[in-house]
Amino acid sequence: MRALIIDDSAVMRKVIERALRQAGLELSEVLQASNGEEALQTLRDNQGSGGLSLILSDINMPVMDGLQFLEARKQENLAHGVPVVMITTEGNESFVLRAIAAGAQGYICKPFTAEQVKARVLPLLRVA
Amino acid sequence: MSNTQDEAVTRLDSAVAEVFETMLERSCDPLEGEVDTVEGRIVARIQFTGAVDGECLLYASQATASVTAEALLGTPSEPHDPMVDDAIGELCNMIAGGWKSKLASPDSNCTISTPAVTRNGLEGYQARFGTKFSRKYSFQGNVFGVVLAF
Repeated sequence: MRALIIDDSAVMRKVIERALRQAGLELSEVLQASNGEEALQTLRDNQGSGGLSLILSDINMPVMDGLQFLEARKQENLAHGVPVVMITTEGNESFVLRAIAAGAQGYICKPFTAEQVKARVLPLLRVA
Repeated sequence: MSNTQDEAVTRLDSAVAEVFETMLERSCDPLEGEVDTVEGRIVARIQFTGAVDGECLLYASQATASVTAEALLGTPSEPHDPMVDDAIGELCNMIAGGWKSKLASPDSNCTISTPAVTRNGLEGYQARFGTKFSRKYSFQGNVFGVVLAF
């Protein structure tokens, strides 16, 4: 499966990828973006090039944050039906509600364990 | 120490322990009393804006930062590896976010900035906020400091 990880920290992108592999996901390709704008471009570039199964995104990022990314993705109808999980230090309820309204299926608070990633991500892949 | 500061320290200790146990699989404990031996050239800063205005700084030596990055990534880091600065920034981000999430409403209604990391040390640093405290922590003999001002 192919996944897109969006985080301004290269360290976190690596940590998230490792957690996905520890959760038992067989990742054939991991696309990466350091902000929402790069992520949108990645989705545009990859339209029709084989299925993307999962998007994990930070909220607090420079240039375009995770909530703006969700809203722009919805407007452009990119990666329709692909589950999006927000990974964030912002457990604030208003952020979470806004993320869900904009199309996120779940969120994981940093710090997180591989078990927590597994519990939040696997059910979404089964129904996607 | 005032009650406000006591509570802030307790929340900070708890946030630091949580980040280290969960993300680095290490225990990390506060060092009590004066510790003058923390060399801190790498400094990460997160700012709070909103119901709480303030900042959280995490500082560490190059050696401690390298060990931290290795623990976070699970791979050895190279000398001058940009991942080391990134790891310190992300550690500060998670600690500041953890501290913020432990605040009671309405104080928790504030946003946190993305981390800014410099190698200029803390010389000349002056907090612009009313309450300020600093705390030192140690994991496996590696010592780093956190300054919280709000």
